[in-house]
Amino acid sequence: MNLKDQIRSMDMDNIVEMCINQEQQAIDLYTLARDQAKDDTSRQKFQELVDMETVHKVSLKNFEIENYLELPPADLKITDYLMDPVLKDNMTIQEIIILAAKREDKTARMYQDLADHFHFDKKLNTFFQMMADEELRHKHDLETEYENEFLQEG
Amino acid sequence: MKRERPQSFNTVPMKERMIIPRQDMPEQDAGLRSTNFLEVNLGLRPEQAVVEAQRCIECKSPTCMDGCPVNIKIPDFIQLICKEDFIGAAKKIKEDNSLPAICGRVCPQETQCEEVCVMGKRFEPVAIGRLERFVADYAMQHGNGSVESFEKPKSTGQKIAIVGSGPAGLAVASDLIKEGHEVTVFEALHEFGGVLVYGIPEFRLPKSILREEVATLEAMGVKFVKNFIVGRTMTIQELMADEGFDAVFLGLGAGLPRFMNIPGENLNGVYSANEFLTRSNLMRGYEFPEWDTPLYRAKHAIIVGGGNTAMDAVRTAKRLGADEASIVYRRSEEEMPARNEEIHHAKEEGVKFMNLVNPIEFISDDQGSVVAAKCLRMELGEPDESGRRRPVPMEGSEFVMDVDMVVIAVGNGSNPLISQTTPEIETNKWGNIVADEDGRTSMDGVFAGGDIVSGGATVILAMGAGRKSAIAINEYLKAKVGSST
Repeated sequence: MNLKDQIRSMDMDNIVEMCINQEQQAIDLYTLARDQAKDDTSRQKFQELVDMETVHKVSLKNFEIENYLELPPADLKITDYLMDPVLKDNMTIQEIIILAAKREDKTARMYQDLADHFHFDKKLNTFFQMMADEELRHKHDLETEYENEFLQEG
Repeated sequence: MKRERPQSFNTVPMKERMIIPRQDMPEQDAGLRSTNFLEVNLGLRPEQAVVEAQRCIECKSPTCMDGCPVNIKIPDFIQLICKEDFIGAAKKIKEDNSLPAICGRVCPQETQCEEVCVMGKRFEPVAIGRLERFVADYAMQHGNGSVESFEKPKSTGQKIAIVGSGPAGLAVASDLIKEGHEVTVFEALHEFGGVLVYGIPEFRLPKSILREEVATLEAMGVKFVKNFIVGRTMTIQELMADEGFDAVFLGLGAGLPRFMNIPGENLNGVYSANEFLTRSNLMRGYEFPEWDTPLYRAKHAIIVGGGNTAMDAVRTAKRLGADEASIVYRRSEEEMPARNEEIHHAKEEGVKFMNLVNPIEFISDDQGSVVAAKCLRMELGEPDESGRRRPVPMEGSEFVMDVDMVVIAVGNGSNPLISQTTPEIETNKWGNIVADEDGRTSMDGVFAGGDIVSGGATVILAMGAGRKSAIAINEYLKAKVGSST
């Protein structure tokens, strides 16, 4: 059964739980990368990512669809054309930000696809749109950080 | 503290000063200079310098000094030029700036001293940078003022190691040798000057000027050691514990090139600006075949970036014989961080500007050499945190152009060697050394300043940071003596 069919058979609590698991997978990945990183600055950056995903996970547990504000952030597309970095123990901060931004982009696209697919169901559509926007917001923040540090062309 | 106004030697009535035009800097013809590496700007003539100095309206509360990161006594040296005491003017500058001939050439005066010059509110500002360069060159040509006037103070017996011979390190060396300390500068490369020698081309900063400044410091007693990599040849701990240095200043600069992380950046013919300029400047590729450092003569060289480094690289590529040399910049010219003068000179020399264009891939032939660049056109969106409008890719705007040389000039980071070999020194997440405003690091007796702390900035800001650190090092050493007696 594909993801969309699975979602049709789930209630809202199960769907939220599925999304929380998605966040947990990201937390687990960044935690592993943090623990394997060779230098302090990379560990620090991975910890920031763990914290970011943890905040999102907690907010999902307490989410209210009524509180959703339709304010999707601009997609800067800065990392869209960059190469996918390989997860390793000596990643540079530049690679870590690209990796994380690309993950956020991929997840945002998945949620946007689900939001579009369930356009007929107001509750599901709003929920997935909210999730897509949140992932895009993370991507926006990461790309802003990337631009400020790595694209100053000075 | 209110400063006393310098004695006036300006004989031109106040009203007439405002109608004197700003004196143009004589320069090499654009067509000619794009085929040679001789200096572009030729410097003011003495009579021009006096006329330019006479434009100064001697403000009661001059703002020009506030615009200078090392607070050169600008009104004072300008009056000495009016008096035609050019050596005196050079000495006055040297009280605050040990490298005036360099700063007169590479400082962005238009955003520093000249930006806040009161004349500039209604007319063109006094050409402070051109005057600084003029008197510094004059002093060099007529016997260096600072060595003649330098009386070596009694030795304190305290030793300071300066790591890196760029602008920050040279500023610290100059200030601390005057305090009677033993100063040794360690340089990883085989020539002294850091970014001034490997980064800035001969046509903008002749290396003879830098060698002269280093020779002056040597004559004052500073020891210079080259081919010495602190962190490899010897660690900071070894310098302090085994070699007896009482304090260390880290002025390592930001010499680690950054890449874009797009496909094809590892192809033959794709350089970092750092490598390209080092090959040409430090390794004298521009003097091939007299110097055995070959550099590729391109049909079409593109330089990615819009800063001064990009301008240096594109103008170097043109001089090395590229049929076509282009700047590829993802924002518009308005947002370019390069100095206006450099952009203007590049255009005069035939450099093409492809603004609002961003490469997304470099394409190779079957030999692994770059033959084309796939690019996107950009449009400007909302301003970012720096106030520059943010470029956004235009849908469906992809195009491919033939190129056989690419130079990536999107910025530099810090070399991780010191942080890897000296974990006691705290660094931030970008790898820059964390230091307070006086340059104190987390390791006792170790100070840092310049690009290694701030990230890539200007020569004069690095010097300003070096001068602050010199004061702090001096205080630290005095306290050290006090506590041991």
